[in-house]
Amino acid sequence: MKKYFNTIVFAALILSTWSCSKDVEDVPLERYTEEYLWNTSDSLGNNASQFLVNIYNYTPNGFNRIGNDFLAAASDDAVSSALSVTSVQRMATGGITPFANPDNVWGNYYAGIRRATMFINNIDKVPLATKLPSGAPLKAAWKAEARFLRALFYFELVKRYGGVPIVGDEIRTLNDNVEIPRSSFAACIQYIVDECDLAKTDLRLDPVLDADAGRVTKGAAYALKARALLYAASPLYNGGNIQENSEYTGYSNYMVERWKLAADAAKEIMDLNSFQLLPNFKNVFITYPNREVIFARQGGNNTNVETTNGPIGYAGNSQGRTSPTQELVDSFGMLNGSTIADPAYDPTNPYKNRDPRLAATVLYNGAQWLNRTLETFEGGFAKPGGVIQQTKTGYYLRKFMGNFENANAYSNVNRNFILFRYAEVLLNYAEAQNEYLTSPNAEVRAAVELIRQRAGLNPYQLPVDLTKEQMREIIQNERRKELAFEEHRFWDIRRWKIAGNVYNKPLHGMLIQKGTSGVLSYQEVPVLTTVFTEPKMYFYPIPYDEVVKNSNMKQNPGW
Amino acid sequence: MLYSYLKKTATATGLILMMMLQNSYALNNYPHISKSNKTSFMPSPIKGKVLDSYGHPLQGVQISIKGNPSVVTTKEDGSFEIPAILENVLVFQHPMFNVQEWTIKNENEIAVRLAERYLQSPDETAVLYERKQRDEILGSVASVYTNQLTTTPASLYAYALPGRLPGLFTQQTRGFLIPNSTAATEQGFLSIIPNASVVGTTGPTDNNEILLSLRGQTPVTIVDGVQRDIYSLDPETIESVTVLKDALSSILLGQRSSRGVLLVTTKKAQAGPPKVSFTAQTGLQTPIKKRSVLNASQYAYLYNEARLNGGLTPTYTLNDFTAYQDGSQPYSHPNVDWFDAITEEYSPMSRYNLNINGGGSTARYGISLGYFNQEGMFKTDETVPYNTNAGLERYLINSNIEVNVTENFNVGLQLFGRIQDVNEPGASINTLLSNLGNTPNNAYPMFNPNGTYGGSNQRTSNLYANTVNSGYRLSNTKDLLANIDLTYKFDNWVPGLWAKAKSNVSVTSANTIDRSKSSQVFDFIVAEGDTSYTPFGNTVDQRNNYGLTSSGHYVFYQASVGYDKQFKEHNLSTMVLADQNKAGFNFDLPGTYTNIATKASYNFQQKYFAEAALTYSGYDRYRPGNQFGFFYAAGLGWNIANENFIQQNANWVNVLKLRATYGKTGDASDAGYFTWRQSYFDVFIPYNFGANHTAFNGTNESALANLDVTWEKAHKFNIGVDINLFNNHWQFTGDYFRDKYYDLMQTRGRSSLLIGNTYNPENIGINRYTGAEFNLTYQNSIRGFNYYITANVSSLQSKVLFMDELVREYEWNQRTGQRIGQQFGWIADGLIQTAEEAAQSPRVAGYTPQPGDIKYKDLNNDGIINQFDEAPIGNTKPLIFYGTTLGFNFKGLDASVLIQGVKNVTYGGGDWIFGLGLSGPEQAYPEFLDRWTPENPTATYPRLTLGENLNNSPMSTFYLKSGDYFRVKNLEVGYTLPYKWTNKIKVAGVRLFANGQNLFTESAYDVLDPETQRNGSVYPIQKVYNTGVNIRF
Repeated sequence: MKKYFNTIVFAALILSTWSCSKDVEDVPLERYTEEYLWNTSDSLGNNASQFLVNIYNYTPNGFNRIGNDFLAAASDDAVSSALSVTSVQRMATGGITPFANPDNVWGNYYAGIRRATMFINNIDKVPLATKLPSGAPLKAAWKAEARFLRALFYFELVKRYGGVPIVGDEIRTLNDNVEIPRSSFAACIQYIVDECDLAKTDLRLDPVLDADAGRVTKGAAYALKARALLYAASPLYNGGNIQENSEYTGYSNYMVERWKLAADAAKEIMDLNSFQLLPNFKNVFITYPNREVIFARQGGNNTNVETTNGPIGYAGNSQGRTSPTQELVDSFGMLNGSTIADPAYDPTNPYKNRDPRLAATVLYNGAQWLNRTLETFEGGFAKPGGVIQQTKTGYYLRKFMGNFENANAYSNVNRNFILFRYAEVLLNYAEAQNEYLTSPNAEVRAAVELIRQRAGLNPYQLPVDLTKEQMREIIQNERRKELAFEEHRFWDIRRWKIAGNVYNKPLHGMLIQKGTSGVLSYQEVPVLTTVFTEPKMYFYPIPYDEVVKNSNMKQNPGW
Repeated sequence: MLYSYLKKTATATGLILMMMLQNSYALNNYPHISKSNKTSFMPSPIKGKVLDSYGHPLQGVQISIKGNPSVVTTKEDGSFEIPAILENVLVFQHPMFNVQEWTIKNENEIAVRLAERYLQSPDETAVLYERKQRDEILGSVASVYTNQLTTTPASLYAYALPGRLPGLFTQQTRGFLIPNSTAATEQGFLSIIPNASVVGTTGPTDNNEILLSLRGQTPVTIVDGVQRDIYSLDPETIESVTVLKDALSSILLGQRSSRGVLLVTTKKAQAGPPKVSFTAQTGLQTPIKKRSVLNASQYAYLYNEARLNGGLTPTYTLNDFTAYQDGSQPYSHPNVDWFDAITEEYSPMSRYNLNINGGGSTARYGISLGYFNQEGMFKTDETVPYNTNAGLERYLINSNIEVNVTENFNVGLQLFGRIQDVNEPGASINTLLSNLGNTPNNAYPMFNPNGTYGGSNQRTSNLYANTVNSGYRLSNTKDLLANIDLTYKFDNWVPGLWAKAKSNVSVTSANTIDRSKSSQVFDFIVAEGDTSYTPFGNTVDQRNNYGLTSSGHYVFYQASVGYDKQFKEHNLSTMVLADQNKAGFNFDLPGTYTNIATKASYNFQQKYFAEAALTYSGYDRYRPGNQFGFFYAAGLGWNIANENFIQQNANWVNVLKLRATYGKTGDASDAGYFTWRQSYFDVFIPYNFGANHTAFNGTNESALANLDVTWEKAHKFNIGVDINLFNNHWQFTGDYFRDKYYDLMQTRGRSSLLIGNTYNPENIGINRYTGAEFNLTYQNSIRGFNYYITANVSSLQSKVLFMDELVREYEWNQRTGQRIGQQFGWIADGLIQTAEEAAQSPRVAGYTPQPGDIKYKDLNNDGIINQFDEAPIGNTKPLIFYGTTLGFNFKGLDASVLIQGVKNVTYGGGDWIFGLGLSGPEQAYPEFLDRWTPENPTATYPRLTLGENLNNSPMSTFYLKSGDYFRVKNLEVGYTLPYKWTNKIKVAGVRLFANGQNLFTESAYDVLDPETQRNGSVYPIQKVYNTGVNIRF
């Protein structure tokens, strides 16, 4: 037996290691549970605060958002310079389908909504004790932030799809029924407005501490409410419903009072006196923090916009992705506030004496950029022809970029994408008030004049005898100039129900030829013919999968 | 194509049949006494010795004089004595060795060395955790042995498998190892927390070149009883590679038993004087197929045409064309064939192996050393002081020791070590290959007149600079594996009772060193007589970054107790087994499989067989309480050849066995990573707050927890027949299987986005695989000429039985009922020829068709081409794959050929799109020349447009081609120098050989290699010419 002893001991040893106690945990503890997240003993709410931070990641970032193009390139303000057919060009030429939509945000926003709801439902478990400078509890402000973000996500959905399912405060798990029907457009707007009203009482006051810059503030809730009401009062929904009796695509009747609600909501912000226009238009987008911005998608400091959209031909490999159209350039009018029909306009020197915002929005031939005079005439360094990507219209984007006119190279610039700013509020107010009144009053004019004054128009004052229609035209054009490339025009032409006229015709560029004597000749040439099928394209189709997966889901009319 | 294959096979079969007839005659005569050979001389005893290829004595060789039935057998020392006279012919026979004849000359003492058969069929086969008599196997099992593996010059033994094993489908997707050069960071790993496709299958594997599919599943690779994805063993050290295809053969794996097994068994140490084998070989590799490209002038012409088609003005002028054609301005109008510019035609590969094996009856040892070196195809610059070419260097050590501690106690120890260094250009192989695909000949010159690298605003890096002057990246992988086996026989107490224990630990770790750099490129512009250089891109000095790319540790324990008993004509063998396999990979918690199993097999008189096994198996990534389940399998067999009526009446039937197995198997490889647990994790997409843009990390919710997640299951049924006839010269195996997989992990149909979170896969799907496999072997010898042919053919069909598909509006959209993974797309109906036709054609949303565009069948007649018009496209027939090996051995000369092919596959791809590139137009190919123009109505390519075309770019039948092919996969010729020559220098054997891989391919569609499929930017499959020498003593 002894001779086997060693063997048996050895075998036993081998077998015993088998049943050794575990040296690692049974489940991955770095993937923590709800109890950790809503820590009932953390008076700083560290874990919960991280959850809130992530909800901000669902906010839209408008810089080159659609397949590397600005959404504006799907409107009449710009075209994509890409050589191939890009996503945004498909949008501009009627290529949105229930199966493929380059601006498919449905899943993103419902994901954001779920997370915001989770936060709202659970934050009360955390014994957060911190107070704001105003003495109000931080916890309430946090909850209101999530509430605002959720309302914002709903609004982003509503402006695309009309009435969407309001999923409420329930957090559903794997086997829960999610066949939720769409709510009516009216209910969605009401929900957004109510949520904003709920949020604004607890939100931080503007201006916030430097450390809190970028957080949702009271002003943001007001601004969202004002914009939602403005949209709701707009012709597409307010009396212009594309399908009669469809509660999803608007109201069944026209009510002038809706304009009143919108005007009042905008006025509320103005009365807060928390915001003001920056003196210099160019700096609105690159100064941070600033008093004009109400809420922005926070970015970092980088040169992305310049390298993607800056004119080609400079060292540094700018790609010139965005080509603003002649239509946008023409809308800018003259320095004296009139249109280009004004005698001050010189077709042989078209960029002289123009609205200063033109130079701040668009880079045109002869503009100063990176210590050099931009050449977008045929064969110029920024439009050399050949196989490389370059402007299709003779223009490059200038807006959002740093002031690199006399710089040698690009340097990092603040990249917050502004979602709400005071200039829009003023224009919202002017538009709603003008529509509410039978003829524009001084308040309407004052709001628009503030914009024109800051822009540097001389004179900036408007005539006192403008009719409602004339005023509407001015306000609409002012919106186009002031808010170009900020994801407004694309929606404005829809809610004004003018998309059918704006699209379905060629967009133009400026073909500039340099004669033998160095004299430039200007010729407008078509660059892209857009397509818009009325009325169905006023709304995006609900994604096909969402319709078949949910027996209660109704598709939008025409799709 | 198949026709010519059949013709060749028929010719070969014909030849063999002729030989066989001749030989059957010889065979018939052989046992009888031939009286014709009488001689007047008195036979005198001839003494001799029979040796194996190492010069070691060979026992049990049967020796007879031709024409004489009496047989002598060699003794332990290989010696024999046979009475023979001059000019008598001695015949040496042994089941493992080729038949050899020897004519007696004027000599009293002879030494005969036998050569091993190319096709081995040993009585015992390695199956899961044991060795089994081949006659007793009831499942579907197929093996290849050393000789079939060593003829393949390649970095992995997996290269030698195509066409050799029925049921194993292979696809080579690239021609070179692509190393992982992404360092593993905590962030990286959290964002790619293992999902269904990662767990279990992609721990670190050294094979990312050859896809293996066994009856439609990725097999579990088991090396010497332990699961590890190691494919780079030295083929000479591998005893056999076996595929276990049915439920009974793999059931002991429990929750990993569904996928079948690729079982690799290395050679064990054998008692005897030292056997030393040294092999040195070197070869040249060259891409099977180089894709032809259009020259600069043709490219420019097509580009202009595409612009005109898009309503744009042409880019290139007449002067440009002149310059491209006459090459007078190579800087401003370059024409560079980039593939030629950055690659060499031939790249070397070499391998050295040393194997030593021997020992006594108490202790035995085996040592194998291997070195492998494969160079890539990229050019290098002599002035660069380091190697920038792609390259693979591998060092392997495998040693095993076996000790009989006592008569009944055996200890085995195996140690395996591997170091693998992969070099690649700093810009990385993949970048170079994808740039090759999108850089037209006229993009930029290699060099500008002033010697700087050419480039442009759009192309800010230069392909040549990236190849020779972008620094390098090194990836090192280190593996260590230790294995201990203890076997104890309790024969002293209870005869037939035994116990075994096995323990294995192994570690792997891979790291990357990034020493890449990049240089600026310059656009050379001539304007108004002035030349200027505009710089683009960035100069980045050589980096020196180190990172761990992967690491893993594996522990495996197994203990088993068994009892084998024979009483009268009943044979019973039973076993109880327990094991645990714990694998930790990178940041993941280790996953642990635990099995407790029992197995019993019984046979009566070697005629009636029964076997059954039950496994209780668990995986710890399922919810506690939900981790363990039962799996079972059973089989029956009947060897009719052992019945008396066959033995008495048809003794030429050696084996005639019917067998069937059935079992319920499991597979936990799609378990996911603790998906039953609702959890939250840190996302490293920061959001900035504060005036200084302070980054804050967020926390996110993981996908919806699936509390009920459990293993996938399968009911697998296999029925087969084995027939061996005429002294085992004919061997036939046939199998039919029907495997139903259920509870497959799939996402539910009603996974609405409204829930705001992603759905985890649930146990939903049901798939069925059916197929048949046949293998036929014939081998024989005639006058010392040994020859063989073995051919196999397999078919595989699959069907989706259930997949929680939502109601489809049209039946042709239905995925359920189709093959698994069936491709769907539009059905092309030719090209639109006229404007009227264009106006009437159904259209894609957002697109106005024009003449030259593809016309599609509008299946639902709504005038719009969309998802509703998608139907199954491409092949729907059963997949067929086949292989044939034939060869001979005669007087030291041997040769073998492997032909292998695939049928009913579809080649469809994205390598047709003209001018599609995000940063500019891509390269153009000769296929585009036959594009539609009004003058070319019978075109094979639609009209040219730039970029993605909503109508012409999507996948449709227009672009589908047959992916059928067959190849001369491998050919080897060898010559073993006569023993009497080599013996003078005390060397037992010297064999010179030359072999080749992928020597000839015939494919239905031959623009690119049919195996790499669609993607032009993969490292091309290589053709290899290889020569070497093997020395044994």
